[in-house]
Amino acid sequence: MSTQDAIGDEERKKIKYHFDRHAPDYRERFEDITHEMHAKCPIAWTDTHGGHWVAAGNREVFELAARSAEYLSNDHDVNNERRGYQGISIPAPARGKGRRGGFLEMDPPEQRYYRQTLNPYLSPAATSRWIPWIDELVRACIDDRIESGRIDFVEDLVNIVPAVFTLGMMGIPIKDWTVYCEPAHAAIYTPLDSPDIERVGQLHMQMGMELFKQFADIKENPRPGLINALINADINGQKAPDMEILGVLGLLIGGGFDTTTALSSHAIEWLSQNPAERERLSRERDTLLDSATEEFLRFYTPAVGDGRTISADCEIAGVRFKEGDRLWLSWAMANRDPAVFEEPDQVKMDREGNRHASFGLGIHRCIGSNVARTVFKRMILQVLDRMPDYVCDPEGTVHYDTISVINGMRYLPATFTPGSRLGPGLEETLDKLQKACDEQRLAEPVTIRKKRAELSA
Amino acid sequence: MKVQVDSERCQGHTLCAMKAPEVFELDDVDGHSSVIDENVPAGLEQKVMGAVRSCPERAISVEGTA
Repeated sequence: MSTQDAIGDEERKKIKYHFDRHAPDYRERFEDITHEMHAKCPIAWTDTHGGHWVAAGNREVFELAARSAEYLSNDHDVNNERRGYQGISIPAPARGKGRRGGFLEMDPPEQRYYRQTLNPYLSPAATSRWIPWIDELVRACIDDRIESGRIDFVEDLVNIVPAVFTLGMMGIPIKDWTVYCEPAHAAIYTPLDSPDIERVGQLHMQMGMELFKQFADIKENPRPGLINALINADINGQKAPDMEILGVLGLLIGGGFDTTTALSSHAIEWLSQNPAERERLSRERDTLLDSATEEFLRFYTPAVGDGRTISADCEIAGVRFKEGDRLWLSWAMANRDPAVFEEPDQVKMDREGNRHASFGLGIHRCIGSNVARTVFKRMILQVLDRMPDYVCDPEGTVHYDTISVINGMRYLPATFTPGSRLGPGLEETLDKLQKACDEQRLAEPVTIRKKRAELSA
Repeated sequence: MKVQVDSERCQGHTLCAMKAPEVFELDDVDGHSSVIDENVPAGLEQKVMGAVRSCPERAISVEGTA
């Protein structure tokens, strides 16, 4: 870099803010930091984690995301074949180094081929076919706890349903959900310096091996689901390379499990703290459940943000970006911008004009957004119906230490007035659900199978 | 009132169809939105404005008020 460039660089980066979302105090200070950035520097340069831009303002995040095609790249160039970009994590993670995170770490047109392959499995029409199946799964989870009057919402419900359903859609035997569940969550919440990190790494490796086994098996003996779709995908006239498919499978599990758990547990916790609002939601569910879901998505923003690389020199929202600069788009902070959201730090279940960014903005909109909403709503409805007076125990509640990647929860114990079972428990129900999946070919895309799942009582 | 969805901007967030299912329909395959009829039926203007204000991609535009 010449002296001239260096001066130019200092000038470009003159609006600085020390931003470290990996620091333990970021969780507690989230609202203060957000207010400060909105007031002083909706886009700022931070020297942390190798140096990168942080976009916190709603308008700024929107403008940047809207111009992705020209100026932003998601590419994770693991073999250094293109421009060596680092993908969506800041800093690039130690685990999974040398692995691309599926189409979330690709740019168009490649990214588009993968999404087109999976859309017909994940669209609103595709997802709603599964509702009777999801309801039966939720029922079984609740039945396992209903007579005791005690539940840990995370461990006994909101960890299980997204995991089992994701595997069902993928075409993986759902009874294997425990192989995937702990590593999928623990990989997010375990700090790299934790004494547990080695065990978590082991679990993650076992999960990877099992996933590969399933992939190889489906290649050999095709059965419907997302894995089969990827094996047969037409990626611009070619088959998808195995390594890329495995990256996508990792993305589907990483995206499908921890995020929905995070959303649901926080909403359940809030509803316990606000029992009058809980009663209102139950009473007015027909008109309120949609907007309440969007509001919980906005307020708790499960996936807090995404990294990008600037792919060409540009000026956006008054900032001069240079090719190669790293950028953090904070969905969580954009969701609290008072310029767009009235009283942004309050949960208002009937909020109007809730244009939140919790599923991202632009071409990388969370492909599982419809799945997340459906699973969330089906779980909440049965909780409201079957344990309407639950009280969460703050002493036993454990939030993630940091909210650097996912604003998640590990434990959410609660008590409630015991009730009666409605049917068999989880183990027996998983057999029944697997049978329905296989016999009715539920994991086919909506282009092939339009009918809803049928579950006998 | 006339309403349009910019298909270049729409990314399938589906909030418009939650607000005004009488006006917006979602594609079965990718969930992207389009208008059933660009002429907004009388009485649905408020719902359509709600959809305009909810769209994360700012992809919906209207002409006229009634």
